[in-house]
Amino acid sequence: MHSAEKKHDFEPKVVAFVCTWCTYAGADLAGTSRMQYPPNVRVLKFPCTGRIDPVFILRAFQKGADGVLVSGCHPGDCHYMAGNFHARRRFAAFRVLLGFVGVDLNRLQFSWVSAAEGGKWVEVVTELTERVRAMGPMREFKELEQEEQWSATLTTPELQQAYESI
Amino acid sequence: MSRIGVFVCHCGENISRTVDVERVAGEAAQLPGVAYSCDYKYMCSDPGQNLLKKALAEHNLDGVLVAACSPRMHEKTFRKAAQSAGLNPYLCDMGNIREHCSWVHEDREAATAKASDIVKLMVERVKRGKALAPITVPVTKRALVIGGGIAGIQAALDIADAGKEVILVEREPSIGGHMAQLSETFPTLDCSQCIMTPKMVDVANHPNITLYTYAEIEKVDGYIGNFQVTIRRKARSVVEDKCTGCGVCTSKCPKKKIPNEFDQNLGMRSAIYVPFPQAVPNTPVIDRENCTMFQSGKCGVCAKVCGPQAIDYEQQDTLVVEAVGAVVVATGFKLYSIDRKPEESPIKGYGEFGYGLIPDVIDGLTFERLASASGPTGGKILRPSDGKEPRQVVFIQCVGSRAREKGISYCSKICCMYTAKHTMLYRHKVHDGQAYVFYMDARTPGKGYDEFWRRAVEVEDAVYIRGMVSRLYQRDGKIVVMGSDTLVGVQVEIEADLVVLATAVQAQDGADLLAQKLGISYDKYNFYSEAHAKLKPVECATAGIYLAGACQGPKDIPDTVSQASAAAAKVITLFSKDQLERDPVVAKVNEKYCVGCLQCKKVCPYGAVEEKEIRDRQGNLVKVVANVNAGVCGGCGTCQATCPSKSVELDGYTDEQIMAMIEAL
Amino acid sequence: MTTINQNCYDSVTEAIRREAAKLLQEQTVAAVVGYVAGRRPGTASPAVAKSAEDAEKLVFSPACVNNLALFLSKAKKGIVPKGKTAIVAKGCDLRALAGLIGESQLNREDLVVIGVACAGVFSAAGERSLPLSDANIAAKCRECTIHTPEGVDVVAGTLPQLPDFDPVEAKELARLEAMTPQERWAFWKEHFSRCIRCMACRQICPFCYCEQCLCDRNRPQAVESSPRPAGNLAWHIVRAMHLAGRCAGCAECERSCPMDIPLNLLNRRMAQELKEQYQYEAGTTPQEKGPLNQYREDDDQSFIK
Repeated sequence: MHSAEKKHDFEPKVVAFVCTWCTYAGADLAGTSRMQYPPNVRVLKFPCTGRIDPVFILRAFQKGADGVLVSGCHPGDCHYMAGNFHARRRFAAFRVLLGFVGVDLNRLQFSWVSAAEGGKWVEVVTELTERVRAMGPMREFKELEQEEQWSATLTTPELQQAYESI
Repeated sequence: MSRIGVFVCHCGENISRTVDVERVAGEAAQLPGVAYSCDYKYMCSDPGQNLLKKALAEHNLDGVLVAACSPRMHEKTFRKAAQSAGLNPYLCDMGNIREHCSWVHEDREAATAKASDIVKLMVERVKRGKALAPITVPVTKRALVIGGGIAGIQAALDIADAGKEVILVEREPSIGGHMAQLSETFPTLDCSQCIMTPKMVDVANHPNITLYTYAEIEKVDGYIGNFQVTIRRKARSVVEDKCTGCGVCTSKCPKKKIPNEFDQNLGMRSAIYVPFPQAVPNTPVIDRENCTMFQSGKCGVCAKVCGPQAIDYEQQDTLVVEAVGAVVVATGFKLYSIDRKPEESPIKGYGEFGYGLIPDVIDGLTFERLASASGPTGGKILRPSDGKEPRQVVFIQCVGSRAREKGISYCSKICCMYTAKHTMLYRHKVHDGQAYVFYMDARTPGKGYDEFWRRAVEVEDAVYIRGMVSRLYQRDGKIVVMGSDTLVGVQVEIEADLVVLATAVQAQDGADLLAQKLGISYDKYNFYSEAHAKLKPVECATAGIYLAGACQGPKDIPDTVSQASAAAAKVITLFSKDQLERDPVVAKVNEKYCVGCLQCKKVCPYGAVEEKEIRDRQGNLVKVVANVNAGVCGGCGTCQATCPSKSVELDGYTDEQIMAMIEAL
Repeated sequence: MTTINQNCYDSVTEAIRREAAKLLQEQTVAAVVGYVAGRRPGTASPAVAKSAEDAEKLVFSPACVNNLALFLSKAKKGIVPKGKTAIVAKGCDLRALAGLIGESQLNREDLVVIGVACAGVFSAAGERSLPLSDANIAAKCRECTIHTPEGVDVVAGTLPQLPDFDPVEAKELARLEAMTPQERWAFWKEHFSRCIRCMACRQICPFCYCEQCLCDRNRPQAVESSPRPAGNLAWHIVRAMHLAGRCAGCAECERSCPMDIPLNLLNRRMAQELKEQYQYEAGTTPQEKGPLNQYREDDDQSFIK
């Protein structure tokens, strides 16, 4: 369990995309049970994991997330019957793609947390937060955000000078 | 520019103890698009709601964010308040700074920062919200009740008495369920059959009830107010319309040595049978696995003796489709059976109690049949092995229940009471017999319940031993029960003639499969989940489906009947409207950009997407696009995540809203 | 050096002309989508033949690199006249046609497919004055599994004995897979950073037929539209994700890329995953549902906690 007294050098930004029926309710349960977990997570509520577009995950990383959690109902428990089944395939594919372009998949966590699993919510959030904290900031995307186009390489001093004057 | 109002709630001290609410409200005021912000002690209180209404008018707000508890708690409250002040309710949202913040973090600085972030995110969402109008759908005023035990019967009768049609489906050949098997019922000891059978007959005779026995739910489509239910009527091999219930077939059937399930396999029945004499309907069914005609093709006695020629060996299962507006699930329970455990079951067996090995170790329901006047022994308590009257009977409570390590952690609720009842029934039938009860706790809350239990101990001389049984074995025709009396601190050894186990109450077989067909949720024990443990105890999270009886958790008869009537009341309430308003969170297609690849149709769990042809004025086909039937759409948004061009959009969760929230991180 | 005999292409050309002329003369089809020789030697370009004379100009050669299925998709509507259409299709084009039929973009009944026995086509940078060989054959053709067309209306030409080519793309894929995430990130960062967002990869893809691309939307803007590294990465990820389970593997995106970004590696990686996980492969038979439009209850979820 996370101890509030401990101060850390790096507070990672963790974004959680959760479905409203299971994981959001599970997080509510963690609240009503007064469980404690790191305050780094920001929760975005969706009706269903089926609604969660891979673009959102990408966008979250681009906008400074150090870790992303996607969580919904256990298979068979989807409020919409099959939304999480479709999501499962979509995320399986997207995860491979992110890994292939070089994103460290330890920063992206998927989980099933039911409305009854307040404890699991705490565990998943704590684990991801601490893992990402140990990994340090998500430099790759942040650096990319800062960078300008490379397609014309500044090969001559004149070009370099002209570029810097812009 | 938007004019959003942000209202930060203290929730007494629940939020303000760890979150600096003034600071959150102050920071909210600085956010672009926020025209007003404040904090208040209890936003959900009347003064709090009035504050919101007043601010809406005074500051001309076009969106509201209430940062307080979970939207699952009070979203409706605040949307209603906003609506009464003239704002579209869907322009009012909640930021969860209690369950997701103040209650789970101790660091005031970090919790306040998080609360501010939550407000910032949600303001972005509210800014891009759309005014939505509720969707109205018609209501089919017929109900389906699944399960014909006391819960299903009560619910069906209540709904039917209100003048609405009811379809009652029962898996077994007769309605009645477990209550029909009981001898006498606590705490008044009135005969179960005497109070049950009139209700069964009422069901059969009620003009508003259509009864399908020996039938199961095959498929459920649709949504609240508009379900289409496919029911499989299993082949009875007896034509119900022709059968008069004379009983000649069952008496002439040459195959008579089949253990009767209704009597817990103690009595015998024929291959064509009626489960018990008072069965409703009183139409026999052929047990095809045990019928000589079906197994070898030679016999046909029942067909020969049947006057109205009701026997039909060729009968097939038939599927019936019924349109209903509401469903009551009342599938009941089964008793935990010690000897029959599949390998992969998370619930482990209790081989040590000798159930299934020693014939005189029986479960509570078997004891009910022994004590029942209509049972296999005619109401005499006789032990199964040799038919002798037991002089000493040991009852063991909490077998299976409250044993986390064995897989069931819950209390089965009814065992304390029925064991006390059993000791009395035994004493009433065997006057000089002695009953012993091994128990962990005697849990007897309920009207007249504790008095009942005290009567068993004080008047009827049952010996209660607080402790569990450590060993049980056969010796010289007796069963030696060894256990500890933890109150006295001694080991006890009792030579019993009969041992009765109060085994745990479990969800009915196949409860999970039925739940999947209905789209309702269930817990890890396969008991169905109510929408709210306290405030919505009979509703499912899936609209239009209600729960009654032990399918939701262990329950005794009074509780079951109460819940069944409550479920019926909910159904009748639903049926009191001609049109139903439903949440407008549904998907809509942008026909301009839709290219008709129909990937949305392929993933839609509801089958809500259909093809739509767009034609010009001359009637030439311009293109085919997807179209969402708003009445069928469940609002999951899987279509939108799948659509490559995002030409289908879920109202209330638009890409614009979500992207803006991510942007604000 | 292993060289492919040029004669087989001539026999295909002959068969295409014969078949196209017949179809157009008998008015079975309104047009034949095929290739004509380019102005410079060693080149060819897509063409729509609407008459028997047009049909005489059709050719097939290693320069016929384009995936013609593109011209039947909605993105290029109006190019082909209304009515029944015949199309010259290599193996990779056939898979794209099957995909488009599966996505309700085409009706098989409205098509006459002239499948060609295709030994391979030139790579983007390959020397075109020489016969097709190990030196100038496209990477996709080295690992082609569908040289002989299946499920077509007419087969044009016969396939010569083909040499075993070195599977360079598979090797490159394996090399990337063996890298650490940081190395892969560096690899793709370098490539994507060169992207000038000309959108040629999108315009040439038979499956990018959306009326409005997600990446062109600005409310909300899911992908930054200016050619900066961050937006470039997002665009290529979104593109690969949208094509996963649909891509026919024609590698036209990579061929048309002016900045030589190895885009087909992304498509290949996704295809490989979908094959391993869900036994799905782009084929010549239209499928009702792609691998990401369906599910099984026991799909792998080892990555989910």
